[in-house]
Amino acid sequence: MDQRHQIEELVYRSCLALDGHDFKGFLEMCDEDFRYSIAAFSPEIRKDMTWLDYDKAGMDTLFTNLPRHNSDHSPLTRHATVYTVQIEGEQAEVVAALQVFRTALDGGGTTLFAVGRYHDTIALGASAPRLLRRVVRMVTREMGAGYHVPL
Amino acid sequence: MVKNSAEWAARPKFPDSHFVDSRIYTDQVIFDEEKAKLFQGSWIVACHESEVPGAFDYRLFTHPTGVPLIVVRGEDMIVRSFYNICPHRGNTILYDPAGNAKRMTCIFHAWSFDTHGNCIDISRADQGYQNRFCKEDAGLRAVKAETGFGGFVWVNLDDACCTLKEYIGPALDMLEPHMQEPMEVFHFHKAIVDTNYKLWHDTNSEFYHDFVHYFNRITGMMQPGYFDRKYTAYPNGHASVGSMEIKYDAYAGSKKRAVGWPGLAPGGWILIDLFPGMTYNLRTSVLRIDTVIPLGPNKLMIEFRGLGLKRDTPEERAERIFDHNTIWGPFGRNLHEDLLAVCGQGRAMHEGTDSRWVIHGREENSTIHDEVGMRHFYAEWSKRMGRPAFDPFGEGRLLPARAAA
Repeated sequence: MDQRHQIEELVYRSCLALDGHDFKGFLEMCDEDFRYSIAAFSPEIRKDMTWLDYDKAGMDTLFTNLPRHNSDHSPLTRHATVYTVQIEGEQAEVVAALQVFRTALDGGGTTLFAVGRYHDTIALGASAPRLLRRVVRMVTREMGAGYHVPL
Repeated sequence: MVKNSAEWAARPKFPDSHFVDSRIYTDQVIFDEEKAKLFQGSWIVACHESEVPGAFDYRLFTHPTGVPLIVVRGEDMIVRSFYNICPHRGNTILYDPAGNAKRMTCIFHAWSFDTHGNCIDISRADQGYQNRFCKEDAGLRAVKAETGFGGFVWVNLDDACCTLKEYIGPALDMLEPHMQEPMEVFHFHKAIVDTNYKLWHDTNSEFYHDFVHYFNRITGMMQPGYFDRKYTAYPNGHASVGSMEIKYDAYAGSKKRAVGWPGLAPGGWILIDLFPGMTYNLRTSVLRIDTVIPLGPNKLMIEFRGLGLKRDTPEERAERIFDHNTIWGPFGRNLHEDLLAVCGQGRAMHEGTDSRWVIHGREENSTIHDEVGMRHFYAEWSKRMGRPAFDPFGEGRLLPARAAA
């Protein structure tokens, strides 16, 4: 498998892991220095906003605490398409389009939950590529009741 | 013991002030009436002054009655508000939610307006209107606007309304010492959910629902001082909840808040609900403001704002943003739970579900799990609506059970 293929597969496998609530599997794809954030620009207040921002340990705790909270249990399905991959030395900068769909548990109706982009930095030094940084850049900002699981 | 249909319909065994007929949340007639009787003449938060910092900066706001408004700062630095409706053919004048406009020009026929609401140009006026109509006849509809109580821009559609100060009264006195420094909005998002606006305001008016929040149970309910927090009711339907010290480090992954708030004890938390649907929520390091914009009996848009201090260093601001969004952002732990809960009410209580009553019966000496905040709201609601919330259609006043009528 060539390097670009490996990088794309990492992005897609990260979606599968989160879709399946395989949080351990997701974190295994992440470097020890991993950082995750969700960001959006508000045209209303004309400012960038950071809605979630955690390092790897913070993500682990967030996942651990999930069952203790009351949450919407409707599953999300992430659909990513890798647009660009720029490899520089031991890292790759990846931009992927992201659409997230929400499926109701009762009846199974599916609606669009959000669109945005993954801006990933991927470490290439190890035997397999690993997520070093993920910024979920939201285009959608109105998401009803919101959600507890990161996108 | 389960109930049969008559028992389900029977009025609760509480005084009239301690329950409401659930049709006040579902009935279209009541909803339409609320816009006229509650929202039309109330002072409503449209935005914060930091959203229009410079001359000619504007911000759009959909008033809870449905009226589209422009909030704009003039070259004299005064903030004014107008209908965002062109007096010519009723078009929207400004489309983007915020911006800067030295003149506000309708895209349709290029009529232009200044920041005082005066029409300053009608394209080809002489040719079309001769001397029958001129720009002096074409001003915008001005709306009362005042800036205050933490630098928020308040609007009121009623030309004969009381002043903002009279409307708020002493309700925000508890917060005033903490709002002396200029603030700045760093967070804004809207949530559209299937529920009634009052159910959201009710949730902001009672802390008994802390049972829905794992975070609050751990950091608040299980900590000393929690059950000492008291409600205070104020004129015009406003109410406050006193402070306590939140133990943030009791939640795994959380920690003591690094930045505080001027004058507020570390871990402090003050919440003030303003009639008919705004909430000031100062929690340790951030101020959150909710504004309800009802879209239908079972459809609600809420505007959420998060504010820090204008003088924040980048590091302080980053801390406040983290503190805010960990709990109150769209992916925060508590906001999702609150919204989930009121959506559940909307699901169980929309027209046709045979929901009958909502009970506000807890009495605990006005402390944190007392439901006096909601009772106070509905006393004001009933007065302004001219309908008792427990019997809004005058059907069961003399009867023990509506089903028996």
